[in-house]
Amino acid sequence: MPTVLVIEDDDRIRLSLALALEDEGYTVHEASTAEEGLINQRKDPADTVLVDLMLPGIDGFECIRELRRTGEVPIVVISARSDTHDIVAALEAGADDYVVKPVAVKELSARLRALRRRARAAAPAVPTLIFGDLEIRPEAGEVTVHGRPVALTRTEFRLLCELADHAGRVLSRQQLLERVWDYGAGDERLVDVHVGRLRQKIEDNPASPEHLVTVRGLGYKLQR
Amino acid sequence: MRRPGLRVRLMAGFAAGALLLCTSIAVLSYELTRRSLLAERERTAIRVTYFDATVVQAGLTTDHPDIAEVLRSLDTGPIRRAVLRRDGTWYARNVDAGVTSAVPDSLRTLAERGQPGVQRVRTDGHAALVVAVPLSPSTVFYEVHSLQELESTFRVLALVLTLVAGATAVAGATGGWYATRYVLRPLTSVATAAQEISKGDLTARLDPAAEPELAQLASSFNQMVDQLARRIERDRRFAADVSHELRSPLQTLAAAASVLARRRSRLDERSATAVGLVADEVARFQTLVTDLLELARSDQPPERTRVDVADLARQVCRSRRVPPQIVHVEPGADPVWQVDRRRFEQVLGNLLDNAERHGGGPVAVRLGQSDGVAYLEVDDEGPGVAEEDREVIFYRFVRGRPANSRGDSEGTGLGLALVAQHVAAHNGRVLVLDRPGGGARFRVELPEGS
Repeated sequence: MPTVLVIEDDDRIRLSLALALEDEGYTVHEASTAEEGLINQRKDPADTVLVDLMLPGIDGFECIRELRRTGEVPIVVISARSDTHDIVAALEAGADDYVVKPVAVKELSARLRALRRRARAAAPAVPTLIFGDLEIRPEAGEVTVHGRPVALTRTEFRLLCELADHAGRVLSRQQLLERVWDYGAGDERLVDVHVGRLRQKIEDNPASPEHLVTVRGLGYKLQR
Repeated sequence: MRRPGLRVRLMAGFAAGALLLCTSIAVLSYELTRRSLLAERERTAIRVTYFDATVVQAGLTTDHPDIAEVLRSLDTGPIRRAVLRRDGTWYARNVDAGVTSAVPDSLRTLAERGQPGVQRVRTDGHAALVVAVPLSPSTVFYEVHSLQELESTFRVLALVLTLVAGATAVAGATGGWYATRYVLRPLTSVATAAQEISKGDLTARLDPAAEPELAQLASSFNQMVDQLARRIERDRRFAADVSHELRSPLQTLAAAASVLARRRSRLDERSATAVGLVADEVARFQTLVTDLLELARSDQPPERTRVDVADLARQVCRSRRVPPQIVHVEPGADPVWQVDRRRFEQVLGNLLDNAERHGGGPVAVRLGQSDGVAYLEVDDEGPGVAEEDREVIFYRFVRGRPANSRGDSEGTGLGLALVAQHVAAHNGRVLVLDRPGGGARFRVELPEGS
């Protein structure tokens, strides 16, 4: 059974989400603070994490960063804050997706499902994709730059594989949203922030990328 | 009648003042000049006449003098004529024969009593000066001095002064025009600032230091705008805060309602109905709060990117289970617009939802360009929108009657208001037309190039 860790300080919301997600077939781990959630996750890791941004003590952003330091578990932010600033900050901290309260349980569970599918996604059946100093081994789930292994989250890895699959061709943000996040129509900032994070990891100079380039007005492409 | 503007009144005032002042100065100086010139002329005439009189006196000392000859010996030139009256008889040079009539009786009487005199007269239509010098009890010497030259001088003077007065009046009016422009300039800046504000730019302010006289007006104006901006911000914040505060309890409700809804089949009929109502209303409440929050920040500038609107429309259609084939791009029209993708997605979605809810479903989505605008039309085959409702339906919380009685939940009453706000944020407009063949046509127009 898939497990999800819900880190939410509002007891009512946490309880209702736990009930609803259990109905959707999840085993729910609950935590009311980031500290508690981090300990839980270390002891008994869940498949996915649902985290609120405004938490007492360590806040959501820091919690995401901490989770990222220790693993690549898919993280979904659930927040009452819908400012661009907060969303981008959460994604930059390492979240894979975000939803704004109030979110319908069906929608939330669809997002979680997509994330888990992404985590297990069948990689392209090519042993090694080589882009100059960048090498991707989809089946092994490995990426190296100048021969050194790079740690990517699953979303980042999926994004890179998707771009590598269409090497040299432009993929629009919408196409990437559909293929990587399973969105029919979603927020393009998700793509932009993840591309930014990916560049930090695979480019020698992220400010002027060589491999993962922006094609103005169209989207992104991966090149040699 | 409309009261003339400040500018016209000030200009007229300046012109009238200048004219009045200049006319009085002109009249005064004309009069003074005329008097002094006349006095001067009179003195000269008397001097000359006395000189001539001595000459004549000398010529008369002989026993039987030829008086005409004596008079002829005077070097009088064309402007003065000499005559003599002796023992009731006039003597004059031939050329001056008619001059005697110019000598007025009063002067003659005076002179014949032995008194010299001067009198101004008119002769042959011109002004002249008659000087009488008694030479003996029976003889009086008269000289008639023509003032014709002086008269023409006065005429020229009068003409010049009139012209000067006219020119001064015009200069006064021009001065008035400049003055009003100068005075009105700060008012113009007030008007400009007010216009900016009414257009929604709440940062427009006046500089109190720029016009010291208007400092008070400027600072009151700025205070007013500050307050207005604060109030607008407060209202906006209130809507945002309320919606924000509603989100957490709503999240609980939404999750709990879904748990209940899942167990509906296990409940008795009454409870199941109640649970259905709760779940539906929670869903509507959720949309309402999302829309309210969206509305609260919809006055912010759009984040424009290149968006293939036709593509977006097809996507939105698919997400609502409307066949994407209803989306048409008019020949020659460019479907790529510079718009805020997220907000346009909402515009399209809300228009489609509206057509679904009140028009029996959308039948066409059309993209085109004409007369400098890029347009997007959503057609339905419903009852259409009555003429008097075409503005009102874009107001907040105005709901139309559902076209179908499937009993699906009513809208939030914010969908079209959001459409209008989003489109306005893109400098465009949205209007309702009749669809040829029945139904409503919602038309979004954006200035071309956007």
